[in-house]
Amino acid sequence: MKTKAWELKDIIMMAILGVVFSAVYLAVFDGGVLLSTLLAPAGLGNFSFEIIYGVWFMAATLAAYIIRKPGVALLTEVLASAIELLMGNSGGLTVVLTGVIQGAGAELVFALFRYKKWDLVSMSLAGMMSAVFIFVYELFYLNYIALAPALLIAQLAVRFISAIVFSGVICKLAGDGLAKTGVVKSYAIGAKAEVGKVYDEEDD
Amino acid sequence: MCSINPAIKFISLLAVTFFLAYRFDPVLNFAVFLISVAAMLLSGVRLKKLCLYMIPVLIVAVGMFFTGYRFSADHSMPVTTADFLISDSRWWNGLAQAGRVLAYAGLGYLFALTTDRIFLIRSFKDQFHLPQIFVYGLLAAWGIVPHMMQEYKRTKAAFRARGLSVVPVSPALLKPLLVKSVRWSEELAIAMESKGFSGHEKRTDYAPVHIQIKDILFLIVCAAFLFAVALLR
Repeated sequence: MKTKAWELKDIIMMAILGVVFSAVYLAVFDGGVLLSTLLAPAGLGNFSFEIIYGVWFMAATLAAYIIRKPGVALLTEVLASAIELLMGNSGGLTVVLTGVIQGAGAELVFALFRYKKWDLVSMSLAGMMSAVFIFVYELFYLNYIALAPALLIAQLAVRFISAIVFSGVICKLAGDGLAKTGVVKSYAIGAKAEVGKVYDEEDD
Repeated sequence: MCSINPAIKFISLLAVTFFLAYRFDPVLNFAVFLISVAAMLLSGVRLKKLCLYMIPVLIVAVGMFFTGYRFSADHSMPVTTADFLISDSRWWNGLAQAGRVLAYAGLGYLFALTTDRIFLIRSFKDQFHLPQIFVYGLLAAWGIVPHMMQEYKRTKAAFRARGLSVVPVSPALLKPLLVKSVRWSEELAIAMESKGFSGHEKRTDYAPVHIQIKDILFLIVCAAFLFAVALLR
């Protein structure tokens, strides 16, 4: 790692990841709506989103995993949520605030590891911390506090698993896959990666 | 609505959203939703587009209604008896949960569908003093988006040509997209830095964004609405 300061290419990279993930978020949101329609009459509509909640933490952990600089997780999550808002998210303006909260959760974990530990454990923990942060916020904002406590605990448990799967395992695989293609050579993740071959349009 | 300063619009609508978060009032929520829809239609948002966007929102609202209806925490409800238009608290709880979803979505769409992206970033730069490096980074990323959409369609078409069907968010589609995007972003960053758009040098603007009287008026209208609601309800 040469420098801790952000360069223009880092910002563009974060914004690009923000764009990609905001599209993913919206697509997954529609999928979640479908799921929740099936579960709604049982009053379990909320659970459909808990299952896929980890998806919403992916931008933060993946960007931090690639760029490995302080503040990257937070900013990328904020950007992804801001772009999601502009693309027409149904959560409204506060989606940006949720981005700040989720990003702060992930950022906290990476900061506690002093931005030195980048593996499945730190990424999973980052996702889980995002889950805790956003859950506390939802207790009040979405009035979840008016729901039964047993339901809330079950929701949080499902959300933890989802965070580990999506923002831990899948982001790690995605980051490593990207490093293998050689396009992220100039970022911290690519510096140590063994590049087998240069990615070509014919591949994959 | 389209010509109102995005930074001011963002603050005003965010204030309304937060205000709603501290209220447990279905009637107010539904009213805000209707006002937002009316404002969107008045500022030229096509009805068809709006309806399309509203479908998932309505489904979520119904889902939240049933959740609120079924899993009502019986105590600690911040509602006084005078508020009970509908005698059953379960119904009230369900309606409140559903109304929230609608109101937030209405305000969000009102912002998203009436705001130009470039104007938004420029206004955030001039009104919120967003650092230059972010402004250039964001504008550059925004410029790449159409290429990304095209690339996505192309990859999808390539799969179809080979007789393979892929789901919309499958890794097979996202991987080439990510790889190309990273490449573009790096090339663009080098190109921009070589032209002096690094964000470190001070630059002047051709057309700075100023706050106008109508922006202040919009802010005042929103504030007046909140005060009126706080006093009357």
